[in-house]
Amino acid sequence: MSAERKSGSGDKGAGPALECRSVTVELPHRFGRKRIIEDISLQVRSGEFLTIVGPSGTGKTTLLRVMGGLTSPASGSVLVHGKELDGPPDNVVIVFQDYSNALLQWRTVAANVAFGIERTLDRTDIEQRVRDALALVGLEKNAEDHPWQLSGGMQQRVQIARALALRPDVMLMDEPFAALDAMTKASMQDELFRVRDRTGTSFVFITHDIEEAVYLGDRIAVLKGSPGRIDQVFEIGLPAPRDQLSTRQLPQFLEFRYAVHQAIGR
Amino acid sequence: MTHSRLWRQYFTVVAAALPPARGMLPLVVLLGAWQLSQTGNSPYFPPPSDWCNGLVLLEKSGRLYPALLATTMTMLLGLAVAVVIGVGVGLPIGVSPRFSRAVGPLLEFLRAIPPPAIVPVAILFMGYDERMKLTVVVIAAIWPILLNTSSAAEQIHPMLLDVAHSFRLSAVDRMRLIILPSVVPAILLGIRVALPLAIVVTLLVEILTSVEGIGALMIGAQRNFQSPQVYGLLVLIGLFGLFVNSVFAVFEAILLRRWPPKAQSENF
Amino acid sequence: MDERRFFAGINWPGTAVFVLVGLAWEVVIRSGLLEYEYLPAPSAIGLGLGQLAREGTLAPDIAHTLIAVAIGWTVAITVGISLGFLLGLSPTARRYSLASIEVLRPMPGVAFAPVGLLLFGFSLKTEMVVTILPVLWPVLVNTMGGVSGVHPRLYDVSRTFRLSRKDTILHVILPAVMPPIVVGARISLSLALVLTVVAEMVGNPEGLGYGIVREQQALRPDLMFAYIVTVGFIGIVLNAGMLALAETVFPSSRQLRGPQ
Repeated sequence: MSAERKSGSGDKGAGPALECRSVTVELPHRFGRKRIIEDISLQVRSGEFLTIVGPSGTGKTTLLRVMGGLTSPASGSVLVHGKELDGPPDNVVIVFQDYSNALLQWRTVAANVAFGIERTLDRTDIEQRVRDALALVGLEKNAEDHPWQLSGGMQQRVQIARALALRPDVMLMDEPFAALDAMTKASMQDELFRVRDRTGTSFVFITHDIEEAVYLGDRIAVLKGSPGRIDQVFEIGLPAPRDQLSTRQLPQFLEFRYAVHQAIGR
Repeated sequence: MTHSRLWRQYFTVVAAALPPARGMLPLVVLLGAWQLSQTGNSPYFPPPSDWCNGLVLLEKSGRLYPALLATTMTMLLGLAVAVVIGVGVGLPIGVSPRFSRAVGPLLEFLRAIPPPAIVPVAILFMGYDERMKLTVVVIAAIWPILLNTSSAAEQIHPMLLDVAHSFRLSAVDRMRLIILPSVVPAILLGIRVALPLAIVVTLLVEILTSVEGIGALMIGAQRNFQSPQVYGLLVLIGLFGLFVNSVFAVFEAILLRRWPPKAQSENF
Repeated sequence: MDERRFFAGINWPGTAVFVLVGLAWEVVIRSGLLEYEYLPAPSAIGLGLGQLAREGTLAPDIAHTLIAVAIGWTVAITVGISLGFLLGLSPTARRYSLASIEVLRPMPGVAFAPVGLLLFGFSLKTEMVVTILPVLWPVLVNTMGGVSGVHPRLYDVSRTFRLSRKDTILHVILPAVMPPIVVGARISLSLALVLTVVAEMVGNPEGLGYGIVREQQALRPDLMFAYIVTVGFIGIVLNAGMLALAETVFPSSRQLRGPQ
């Protein structure tokens, strides 16, 4: 597997793909508003894999939703390629944790993957993109199946394919592999690497699994406290390409794992 | 438990389960409009105020309470018998897969016959009396209870039966301590479905045969063109149904407070 | 004990029991072992059916009942689905009508029979009065529940992919709510049959319901049971037909076989 990584080149410029500037989010809570996350400033570089970890309830999902334009910040701003957000931006896609509720169960896999592009592209382009996306996630044979006929891992791959068909600059993923068994999780992690290497997409990846965060991430942001704030950002200088067996045995891997655990637990 | 504590429990459960009161608006508006639009003496659409007068008249003639009592007693008694038979037959069916398979198609066939169709059969077999009315209610109410009981017994987690086995429980103890408690929620659900069924069948018999009850009063009023009484009795039946259902809902909630809440499926 | 088992596998012990019971019934009555004036043997019921068909009374009765069911059910699902959508989409509308629905819903259809007779005498309209209101509820409640229960995730997905409001309703909400609506319509259909038969027993002297009562009063139990069996049979056909239709038009409803 080549280590070639398209980092921020091309027509998008060298700036960050996505940026949060002092983002604070408040949500209705009982009879008032509760501050979920506060003063979040974060940059997602092009082609980067940024993982976000933190204790439960610190607002990781909320942060992701703000980045995806589903929730508006009370103060601060979110910029995609330098432009401030006004609703969900069209080159950023969210992959949700509960895949069975996020897929259109009544459509075939192919129709699901086409969902984001069927209104904007013509027929031949749609078919091509669907085929490419399905090939990227290894589901070419299941194009005519329905999601409810597939396993959890496969359904999640359909959701990823749907996101990929859009050729997004940034993919926001909310604990996408939390409901999968260990072996499926491992192969899905490597699949993401393959996608990133071939498309140059940036990833923002929320997870509870610290080892997953270290394995996948170029950087790890630790969200802590109530309201949630960025506590630390780790630069993960592990060599690429990463491998499930050898990378996870490296002493640096263990050091990073220890450090992140410490950061969260403190 | 003291009386006041029981009432307090009743009201808390009822209040929590009730939809917001402003939802009564459409009904109130409808009745109000009806009342206001009726100036003349329309024999077909008497205003709601006349309904009350009609009911009062019935009460004064001494026929209202005996009828109400007759309907209620038939319904309750019929339900009780249906529970005994339904659970008594449903449990063995659910517990033994062989028995269940053998009896399956027969029960499916019998279930396909709508309860109201049984009424004329019962009339033919038993004549026009209270016993016949009771029999029909029992036959109608049995099905939801029997089916719910048997399916719940069938679905008892094999793990629980393993537990019974490993603690070497006798068959009686196993039934008493494990099987019966497991199916109680289903039995109650069956009763909840059977309740409106019992009311419908009771009324049907009374309307068809004029055996004593609210239905008989209603059809009698209709034959005498006493339209206010017909509408009044309709409202009475509605309130009666509402009251019975709410009492049972509270009873069920109190009884089931120790069971884990399960997603209740809507059964009609 | 569910449809799947009944239609799919070959249940030898079950069929055997069924056939044996039928045979025993036949033998017991024919041989005079059990003398019961009003209990006909299965063969007598079969002959009764044939007689009714030959006399030309069965077909018109079936037709009348089916027409009444069709009219009542169509009206009920039209109103039910429309109202259900309205109430499902608007929490405010729900707040202002839920209590009324909960009060009206338990009203037994048969209680409307005297009202129908009062207003319309012996006519099809009386059957409608008995049928329409109770049949409305299953489809209305299911539609309302289905529409208001569309998972918030689906709305998130629509917004993430920047769907217009029209596209959201057409491509996301409508397909998502079809299964519960279809289930509600199916339950309503079964209910419509039962209520129509009831209305014909106590209200309008026409159709299968009246047939049952008429033969009961004429002391012809064989014909009475023939009518009853016909009603049961039509019920099964209607239900199975609707199930098959729903699953061909909306294959996704296979996921939700609905309450039995």
